[in-house]
Amino acid sequence: MTPFLPRRSTLYLTFVALSLLVLAGLFMNGARRVAASGPRLAEERRQVRAYGLTDLVLFTDARYTRHPSMADRNAPFQDYPQALEHFPSGSLMPPPPHVRFHERR
Amino acid sequence: MIDLQDIQKTFNKGRPNEYVAVRRVSLKVEPQLVTVLKGPSGSGKTTLLSLLGCMTRPTSGRIFLDGREITSLPERFLTEIRRRTYGFIFQQFNLVKGITVLENVMLPAYPTGERRAVLRDRAMELLELFSMAHKAPSKVEWLSGGESQRVAIARALINDPGYVIADEPTAHLDTALSREFMEIVATLKGRGKTIVMASHDPIVCSEGLVDRIVEVRDGSLVSDGPHR
Amino acid sequence: MSAVERHRNILDFTLASLMRRKGKNSALIVVYTLVVFVLASALFFTQAIRREAGLVLTDAPELVVQRLVAGRHDLIPTAYLEKIRDIRGVTGARSRLWGYYYDATVGANYTLEVPLEAPPPEGSVIVGEGLARTSGAAVDSLMPFRTTRGEITTFAVSKILPSDSSLVSADLVLLSEKDFREMFGVDRAHATDLAVTVRNKKEIPVIARKIAEALPDTRTISRDEILRTYDAVFSWRGGIMLALLAGAVLAFVIFAWDRAAGLSAEERKEIGILKAIGWETSDVLLMKFWEGVAVSLTAFLLGIVAAYVHVFFASAGLFEPVLKGWSVLYPRFRLVPFIDFPQVAALFFLTVVPYTVATVIPSWRAATVDPDAVMRG
Ligand SMILES: Nc1ncnc2c1ncn2[C@@H]1O[C@H](COP(=O)(O)OP(=O)(O)OP(=O)(O)O)[C@@H](O)[C@H]1O
Ligand SMILES: [Mg+2]
Repeated sequence: MTPFLPRRSTLYLTFVALSLLVLAGLFMNGARRVAASGPRLAEERRQVRAYGLTDLVLFTDARYTRHPSMADRNAPFQDYPQALEHFPSGSLMPPPPHVRFHERR
Repeated sequence: MIDLQDIQKTFNKGRPNEYVAVRRVSLKVEPQLVTVLKGPSGSGKTTLLSLLGCMTRPTSGRIFLDGREITSLPERFLTEIRRRTYGFIFQQFNLVKGITVLENVMLPAYPTGERRAVLRDRAMELLELFSMAHKAPSKVEWLSGGESQRVAIARALINDPGYVIADEPTAHLDTALSREFMEIVATLKGRGKTIVMASHDPIVCSEGLVDRIVEVRDGSLVSDGPHR
Repeated sequence: MSAVERHRNILDFTLASLMRRKGKNSALIVVYTLVVFVLASALFFTQAIRREAGLVLTDAPELVVQRLVAGRHDLIPTAYLEKIRDIRGVTGARSRLWGYYYDATVGANYTLEVPLEAPPPEGSVIVGEGLARTSGAAVDSLMPFRTTRGEITTFAVSKILPSDSSLVSADLVLLSEKDFREMFGVDRAHATDLAVTVRNKKEIPVIARKIAEALPDTRTISRDEILRTYDAVFSWRGGIMLALLAGAVLAFVIFAWDRAAGLSAEERKEIGILKAIGWETSDVLLMKFWEGVAVSLTAFLLGIVAAYVHVFFASAGLFEPVLKGWSVLYPRFRLVPFIDFPQVAALFFLTVVPYTVATVIPSWRAATVDPDAVMRG
């Protein structure tokens, strides 16, 4: 007799179920990693406290991108007027809220 | 039994292109017989078949199916009745392209929620009946005209309807295939189906199998009689 | 006869019909998956950084006081410390010494800083992991620096900070106060800025105002503002998300709309056939619903799994060129997978619902036609 393919809806629903399983597995892995991140976060906090740090190391190209929270309204102009914006990271990153007029309380 | 009482079908009512396609028709379709609607092009055969098969509602008049008034039923019930009671064979077959013969045959039964294995067995049985089982896994595009029609017939029968309605079933077939079709009609009649066809094909109309020929002209019945 | 079987039968047909336009539909799913992937990656990445910043920077100084001279950040007199300590509610004030150093041979900027607690002994430095990686510094190797007087001094690397904490210390050079002052020529009466601790967090704004009154040439930055900075950097309009997505998403919306909404004559005819052979309007709509779900759910699932792997296993490698910018020294860190489930749910609804609706709505009209239309091909 003619061979029949496995039912399409079965294939699709299996795919969905498997993906959900993989996703659940990933999220579980995430939860485990979050749970295991205690020592790392503790070390980072220790460094922040001991060294008096204020910022994350995300962009090291300019001083106002290395320490965005320390930026002031004049920071970008301290390089030279055209410095608006010659670093890509500077264009990805808005000035911190306390430097922006409209968000100041 | 389908009982049409004083049926009128007007297209585009109230507009300049208003057209009365069926005019005050009363007709009883007797069960387990083969009835043929005959008439020239544009006479209203297809429209009449749609009315008989609950595909469309009459503008006025009433339709009874086995004694039950169905003209005023809401759409959902009408579809349900259509699905259980009628099998349609369309003039252009109207198979769904891109899927297999088997899937085409099972298609009308999908919304009933029947188990697929049961459905598949029934579909294969029907295809077997029309010697089309070997084509079950092929796509419908590749079928010849006669094969397409046999698939269309199998599809019409999947829900085991009491009535089979066919519109110009032999229009796209040569003489040999038309004869073959009439043999299939004989089989269906033998299985107790009520058959209504629209046709002006002499092969159909001269067949001894046909119990009754109803002649339609300009939307009205002009003669109605048993096969001569 | 069951509702589940009805759904599965109709889904069977939907999938069979999708397979008919295999090329087109696969292309659609690929592009859709890509959009979800980029969106979800950005979401995972920013959320993880925000959470980590929020958790880690809670130990940053409660107040930083900086001096401004003619609109520029300037060295602050350490004599200000006394004035600040006199303000009620202040429990401590210390001077911070930090600054930047451009290493011409590596081409990278370092952050030089004197730790508040336990500075390294004179003549030695502790360096961050990123710096060590970029400059090739190792424990006990000597690092040369140019002082303000143009002389070269060298410091022995006494320790490299763990790579685990790269996110806060990748580019640090920690050195003793004496070495810092000598190198940059900062006299003992001055510091870079002042770190202030207060007794009660609620009083921070009040104390900041008092400092501003007592020392009119200064400005203060509170810890709250530091934390909010990172919320802002990685909020949805914080540039990163917008830069990455705006164009792609809009282009895709147009594409998907066209695909989903445009009902071809062929599709319309097919709906007519289904109606004629006994499908109800609701069956047709159910089929269209499944069509939308099949495409968008597939894209969502593939996209989100790929995004998770990308961000939390491959350290968001594809974003690196964007985030790195011109930085030579770039921290290498594995993000802690903090996931904001409401955001994932929002992404789900944003990807699956609109597409499905856009697929169902246009077929509504086609699905309500009288089935007799098919009788005349
Ligand atoms: N939707 C419609 N709107 C307006 N007029 C219509 C519509 N459907 C059918 N008609 C008209 O009704 C008349 C009857 O059409 P019908 O299709 O029933 O004829 P027929 O007898 O089946 O013809 P043929 O043998 O050519 O198939 C025709 O004149 C046709 O133009
Ligand atoms: Mg006709």
